[in-house]
Amino acid sequence: MTLNPKTGETFTLQKEVDKYRPIFYAGASGDFNPIHIDAEFGKMVGLGGNILQGLCTMAFVMQTVSDWSGDPYRVKKLKVRFAKPVLPEDTVTVTGTVTEVQGRTARCTLVAKKQTGDEVINNAFAEVEVGR
Amino acid sequence: MAVDKKFIGKKYPPVEYEVCREKIKEYATAVGDLNPLYMDEQKAKQGPYKGIVAPPLFVVVYAKDVLSQALFDHEMALNIAMLVHGEQEYEFVDVVRPGDVILTEGYIADIYEKSDKDFVVVGSTSKRKSDGKVLSRGKWTFVIRR
Repeated sequence: MTLNPKTGETFTLQKEVDKYRPIFYAGASGDFNPIHIDAEFGKMVGLGGNILQGLCTMAFVMQTVSDWSGDPYRVKKLKVRFAKPVLPEDTVTVTGTVTEVQGRTARCTLVAKKQTGDEVINNAFAEVEVGR
Repeated sequence: MAVDKKFIGKKYPPVEYEVCREKIKEYATAVGDLNPLYMDEQKAKQGPYKGIVAPPLFVVVYAKDVLSQALFDHEMALNIAMLVHGEQEYEFVDVVRPGDVILTEGYIADIYEKSDKDFVVVGSTSKRKSDGKVLSRGKWTFVIRR
């Protein structure tokens, strides 16, 4: 299906982070940094517990754009800034907004917030191929 | 102690990774992105790529060893316990499929200080071994609290 978004169009996706998500992600990605899998260690270094791998939260952002666009490889570029840690049992809501459509590229800004309203990913954008 | 800027430009030897269908499924399941293009052979065959593809962000798996090279570089000696991921940027150039053998080269793209923190940016370029075509590029920014 051809993607022909309009400037101002928005899209969203909500993801639940269960208690063991950082462990599953560690196994799948190989990122076994103790800050992600060891709550005691996370507390010791001032993070308040073990935190989800930022790249897992980025995967939520990627899925948001990919589901909206209908084809993951329409996404040509994705950039995120990890603003705050995501902890197990958080709920993350990602919202994208089309800010510009020029030729065959749509530019979208993205933000991910957790249930408290805190931004966990911001200054984020994607470039998506459109018109095919 | 600040990270020495002399490491900017340092290159690491390429790492090789062979993409397989089961690892794609494991990754997609872990992030909860159950797109049939990643895990359903029948549906994927009818899709735009005529078969299973890896999620674009599967780059985190095939380029991972490049990061280990940089983050555990004994010369740079980064304080890993105080390190968090600050920013991440990827460019997805071509489709990654099961069976692709990927070579990823890493380098130190930048080192700087900001508000009493050290920033280390690792760059990566991943190419398909069989034809040398670029698949993705990455910029991984890490922040080390002091």
